[in-house]
Amino acid sequence: MRRRMIVAFLAPAVGLYTVFLVAPAIQAFYLSLFQTSGFGDQTVWLGLGNYVKLWSDTVFWRSLYNMAIIMFVGGVFIFGLAFVFTMLLNSGMWGKKLFRALIFMPNIIAVVAITTFWSFVFMPRYGLLTSFLKELGLASLATTAWTAPQNVFFSMLVGLVWISTGFFTILILAGADKIPTDMFEAARLEGASNLQIFTQITIPMMWDVIIITLVLWATQAIKMVEFPYAFGGPNIDQNLYTPGIYLYIMGFGQREPVYALGYATAIGVVLFVLTVLAIVAIRILLRRDRVEF
Amino acid sequence: MRSSQIVSFLKRSASYLVVGFWSIFSVFFVLWIILASLKKTRDLFGSPWSLPDNPVFGNYVKTWISNRFGDYFLNSFIVVNVSVVSILLVSVPAAYVLSRGNFRGQRALSNFIASGMGVPFPLLFVPLFVIMATLRLIDTLTGLTIVYVALSIPFTIYVLEGFFSSLPSELESAAIMDGCTDFEVFRWVMLPLAAPGIATVAILNFIGLWNEYQLSLVLINSPEKRTLSLGIYSLITSMQYSGGDWAGLFAGVTIVMVPTIALFIALSEKMISGITMGGVK
Repeated sequence: MRRRMIVAFLAPAVGLYTVFLVAPAIQAFYLSLFQTSGFGDQTVWLGLGNYVKLWSDTVFWRSLYNMAIIMFVGGVFIFGLAFVFTMLLNSGMWGKKLFRALIFMPNIIAVVAITTFWSFVFMPRYGLLTSFLKELGLASLATTAWTAPQNVFFSMLVGLVWISTGFFTILILAGADKIPTDMFEAARLEGASNLQIFTQITIPMMWDVIIITLVLWATQAIKMVEFPYAFGGPNIDQNLYTPGIYLYIMGFGQREPVYALGYATAIGVVLFVLTVLAIVAIRILLRRDRVEF
Repeated sequence: MRSSQIVSFLKRSASYLVVGFWSIFSVFFVLWIILASLKKTRDLFGSPWSLPDNPVFGNYVKTWISNRFGDYFLNSFIVVNVSVVSILLVSVPAAYVLSRGNFRGQRALSNFIASGMGVPFPLLFVPLFVIMATLRLIDTLTGLTIVYVALSIPFTIYVLEGFFSSLPSELESAAIMDGCTDFEVFRWVMLPLAAPGIATVAILNFIGLWNEYQLSLVLINSPEKRTLSLGIYSLITSMQYSGGDWAGLFAGVTIVMVPTIALFIALSEKMISGITMGGVK
């Protein structure tokens, strides 16, 4: 290929990517060292001041805690369910493709549409869940305030687990489908049980896929904004804050913008560092010799 | 023998029960929203489980006109389509060169672009806001489109590189033997072969951007420039004061989800294989 063509083909994409993704990402590190509202008025150099303030900001710690719960508690359910669905769908079920498509479907629907539905499900008094529990005669459960401050986070998590399960099921299923079927047949002939097949063949054979999906989930959980934010609606409860939401609120606020742009960006930098740490940690902790086949 | 048959029958039934329940819930979710959008809000609260006795389409008229969802739909439609076309125009050639070209630093450049997928978008909220304000593109659909294109490049190129590198090289060499220029090889040989892959990333980007709202939340402020997702979010916000017109809200939700569901019904296999190819190579 001629040099001229290589340059011409790469320039637009590399240019846009560098100017509107790489440059802002680098600029973020710089912005996080200032106190600024972004409108050219007093921009005060703080050095690491924003980070020192973050360290003692209880709301920020709360948001980190929520992020951790999403990542670990949500993750256990999502991956548990995804593996269960993978096993069931691969046990010779009829209609595998149809079920796979239906399990995945919530992922192609706008987040605001999904959270609106779940808000109605958990709505006090008239909500779908309340009326369903009433029908079942579980009056005491039916009066639970699902959106009260102490419950709202886990109500949100239910909806989040619901969509994410669909997403990770198709990835893990695709990983399992890459395993040659004669391995399973051989194991069956040798008299291996389903559990043995799962732990001795399925898991080791798709170790790469497991690592990739865990990295994907960890990074998604760290940068989570849309689902909890839309679920929370206006005047979102602090119990729903993730670091990304807190960043948005400190930067652009709800009704009355705060415009603490430097402080908000410092949160973004923490998110970036956490993302890198998560990727490195997963890769190191779960490193294993690749199984060749 | 018979008891083992019963056990396996029970196991199979349980499988269908679990998977079936989860799948039916997806269908229920969509149907319930559509039915809710055809009820009066009073009936929606009174009997959320029943079918609407006489479906009312007034919710749609109200949402489309008074709540300006017609405008929002047009905004979303224009921004998303212009974005997807632009994404393809810049990403397809770049991915082609990165996977089939042969030059120094090719791998490094490829990794440099792919690393953009690891950047958490919230990190970019403030810098993008500042850059767009400087360029006087803040609160414009043009600015939003530019950001959509730039931020979609890493994933798009990553997936397209996979498609291009899976194409056979024999045709390429044959075309060169026949005297095709580099560009002609790309335009008349490789591009048609990659068409299914290009269609897949186009659909995935369309759906992703159609549903996106965190970036538009940061970059768009004027009511008349809202996309559909922002429109729904602002409707929820306004409902705090005007009382809950939930039926109208569900009409808006139906409007935002129908296009992607229609695409999914037509192309679910293609979309799922595109995602699993991108994620699990």
